[in-house]
Amino acid sequence: MSGERQTRSNLAGTLDMSWKDMSWLLMGLLAAIALYAAPNVTWLGTFPEHWGLPISAWTNAILAPMVVGLQGATRVLSQVIGAPMSAGRAVLDWTPWSTVTLAFFLLAYWTAGIRTACFTLASFLYIVSVGFWTPTMNTIAQIGLAIPIAILLGFAIGTLAARYPRLNTATQASLDFMQTIPTFAYLIPILLLFGFGPVVGLITSIIYAMPPMIRNTILGLQRVPPELRESGRMSGCTPLQEFWWVRVPAATPQLLVGLNQTTMAAFSMIIIASVIGGSQDIGWEVLSTMRKAQFGESLAAGVVIAVLAMILDRVSCGFTQRYVHGEQFHTNRYFWIASLGALFASVALASLVPSLWVWPDAWVIRPAAPLDTAVDWITANYGTSLNALKTTAFYYFLLPLKIGLVQAVTPMTWGLSFDGPVQIGYWAIAALAVGVATVYSDRAAASIIAVIAILLFYGTTGIPWPVFIAIVTLAAYQAGGFPTAVFAFLAQLFILVSGFWPAAMLSVYLCVAAVAICIAIGVSLGAAAANNDHLSALLRPINDGLQTVPQFVLLIPALMFFQAGDFTALIAIILYAIVPAIKYTEAGLRNVSPNSVEAGLALGCTKRQMFWQVRLPQAVPEILLGVNQTIMYALAMLVIAALVGTTDLGQEVYIALGKADAGSGLVAGISMALIAMIADRVLQNAASSRKAALGLPV
Amino acid sequence: MSRQLIISLLVSFGLLAFTCDGNAASVPESKEPIKIALNEWTGQNVTAKVLGGIYESMGYKVEYVTAGAMPQFTAMQEGKLTTQPEVWTNLVGEAYPKALETKTIVELGLLGLNNYEGWAYPKYMEQMCPGLPRLEGLIACKDKLATPETFPKGRILAYPSDWGTASAKLVAGMKLPFVAVPAGSEGAEIAEIKAAFLKKAPLVLMFWKPHWVHAVYDMDWVQIDPPYSDACATDPKVGPNPDTTDDCGFPQARVVKSAWVGMEKQWPAAFSVLKNFQFDGTEQGKLVYEIDQKGRKLDDVVAEWLKSHEGTWKPWVTTATASN
Repeated sequence: MSGERQTRSNLAGTLDMSWKDMSWLLMGLLAAIALYAAPNVTWLGTFPEHWGLPISAWTNAILAPMVVGLQGATRVLSQVIGAPMSAGRAVLDWTPWSTVTLAFFLLAYWTAGIRTACFTLASFLYIVSVGFWTPTMNTIAQIGLAIPIAILLGFAIGTLAARYPRLNTATQASLDFMQTIPTFAYLIPILLLFGFGPVVGLITSIIYAMPPMIRNTILGLQRVPPELRESGRMSGCTPLQEFWWVRVPAATPQLLVGLNQTTMAAFSMIIIASVIGGSQDIGWEVLSTMRKAQFGESLAAGVVIAVLAMILDRVSCGFTQRYVHGEQFHTNRYFWIASLGALFASVALASLVPSLWVWPDAWVIRPAAPLDTAVDWITANYGTSLNALKTTAFYYFLLPLKIGLVQAVTPMTWGLSFDGPVQIGYWAIAALAVGVATVYSDRAAASIIAVIAILLFYGTTGIPWPVFIAIVTLAAYQAGGFPTAVFAFLAQLFILVSGFWPAAMLSVYLCVAAVAICIAIGVSLGAAAANNDHLSALLRPINDGLQTVPQFVLLIPALMFFQAGDFTALIAIILYAIVPAIKYTEAGLRNVSPNSVEAGLALGCTKRQMFWQVRLPQAVPEILLGVNQTIMYALAMLVIAALVGTTDLGQEVYIALGKADAGSGLVAGISMALIAMIADRVLQNAASSRKAALGLPV
Repeated sequence: MSRQLIISLLVSFGLLAFTCDGNAASVPESKEPIKIALNEWTGQNVTAKVLGGIYESMGYKVEYVTAGAMPQFTAMQEGKLTTQPEVWTNLVGEAYPKALETKTIVELGLLGLNNYEGWAYPKYMEQMCPGLPRLEGLIACKDKLATPETFPKGRILAYPSDWGTASAKLVAGMKLPFVAVPAGSEGAEIAEIKAAFLKKAPLVLMFWKPHWVHAVYDMDWVQIDPPYSDACATDPKVGPNPDTTDDCGFPQARVVKSAWVGMEKQWPAAFSVLKNFQFDGTEQGKLVYEIDQKGRKLDDVVAEWLKSHEGTWKPWVTTATASN
């Protein structure tokens, strides 16, 4: 494995011909042969069905007896979890809205100060005045139980994993799956195990929200300095005391990061969990308004989720910061007594003034109508130009990526046909670009150009599967060495033989298209924001909104403007996945070490040179991590994009849900997770080798 | 406000008078609430609340449970849901037949909704495509329906793919110059209808009635001959194309009432009412229009309807309590 470090420096531009470069050449040759032969050899073009394995059927065969065997225990568990949840709902539903609002106001004031408290007050007044009080209370009851359970379980698992290295390996592998398999894929088995009801939503939220807590617990406990533990033992601590009195306090900052992330993750599951039903929560409101295509109503409900997420985020961040910095909370004994008094007083007052207990129907505001009118107006007046935009995007970008220039370029679309001389010209330009890149840049750039050229020519659905697998495996090898390459190869083999390859290629097409646009727009916006504080301040609330307002809401206007299909799906994916591209780019550029900037200034760099030659290269690793997150977000959106008529893996997951076919849903979901994991491994490795090459701490 | 209050008071007094009628000796048979499923769309909610209203008038405790199309059968198999009075058998995939096989849920016949489904188009399209509503007219008009995704063929918006692939089958069976693009969700279909009417753009989509959309937007159905027969789906010789199956019109959905198998024992009278329960699609459409378009409250609209249609539903109650 001495070649690994070698290649890492290759990426940075050292010019020596290693045996890895030979393998690229060999690969290129093989690919050329396969591409040439593909039209005549059918199995190269489409993977023959009879070569596949009935993995979905096997999964069903394993799941069925497992469900029967476990059902007894899980049903009891479901009752046990269900009881506090119903109790919480009952209490929240009974309590006057004014008292609940006051309680949250005080909580926000206690943890995060007067500004957040005022924001909380305004948010709760909004919730009650638009008529979503009861569903919101049901959501809070569900979230209020899911978050503590996820945190406690996550802490317990993390502690065990930090203690036993073998368990740690297994945990790390399953964490990836827990975060990347779309929830819809395991909804059926969970439904069968735990029975119908809000508990199912609760459990899916816990599964999805737990991983950040586990990760941060492991990280925090492992990073406790050995000297500290030593001193604990010296002073005569038992192992248990040493754990609770030395290691946990030392790891607390990291644990609190996990707490915050887990809270946010639980929030992003609200809607998905309500697909099952039985909870009559705010997610259900969004879903049913989406079904009626009522944009205004669904935005009004979506905003409720967004503001709740923002409140909880600030509250838990505030709590964390004060705890870590050892600041005093705004409290003393009198604060508590006064708060309790105020809460009781508000109940008493509400029993005298009924409108403080239950918000009267007559006071409910409906902000939906003007929003709907606006969307209608745009559709009616700009429908034709929006359509032209869509057509252009299809002809010159989406179709080439999907079916390749070979099929996309016709006299109807491009005004020319893609025949002999044009094809030769295309390959000549591609070869020239690769050659120039090899000479003037590094081989990473050259191979990226070559891959793009092949991809555009054949399209993701037209490229022969052996060529695709070879390219990805090789890229994985280049980035992460032998283990990554083996993982990438086996993962693709799994998708291939389970029969989801064509659907997976459609997912890849949608993702590549979305990520390309996200990088183009997101990185430019992030770069601009790094130089302009006003723009940065403007982008922050937009980013927060895009990530916390449920995506279902954004689908409706996109549908009205662009009709069901790939383009609408693309818009929805971009709106969600662009956020990390913006955020990481801005952070990366702003965090460039002052020394480098200083050195650049000393050398007399112009502003432009400063950006392109000093700051941008230094920020590349951070930007790569942003791109990685963008890919993860884009893949996560595929399942939701299936609601606007895609035909990819996300749709397969939905179809399985409709057929109650647990096996194929799970296998399609695992296929999506595997794509995410390959992309993740490759980019993480690329980012860290860039960092190493730049001499930054990895 | 006050008017609604009076109405609801009147209704409850009427119900009170009815329950004190004397002949309902053992009804309600159980104090346990009857749990009725509420799906995500208003039409079903109206049916559920009408049935629930009848039950409440008989003295039963009723609870409404929101449930997704697929999970509701799991719930009903376990008795966590007592009934779902409006099951569209074509839209629930294989989850429903699978649940029926377990014999833990029972089907109680058709709801009598007079439903229809097929390819719908906006009425104004007849000016662009004079051959409509005949299928030949649609074929002649395919260029108007072509999009970059489907060119040179025309685009037909199909049901979400988890509802089955009827449109794609018909396109293949009839060898039509169209591509069936799956809509992904009901919301997507409605958004397309809204947008098409705003732009006066051509659109053909797989749709159904009763649905509130028909009360707002004037749409008609493409006539496809010959009509569906079971033989057409299996025997290539039936239908115009001798070498393909599915070359007839669309099979029509059965909209049925279904219930947990334990319902008959626990609430016999309620079970009997459910068996006789019928709800006409036109009536349902009117109520849905009041709710979704006029923004009135579901409960008020249903209460009014129950009050003004006692002649329709009271006989079911009488039959149920008499035979009990």
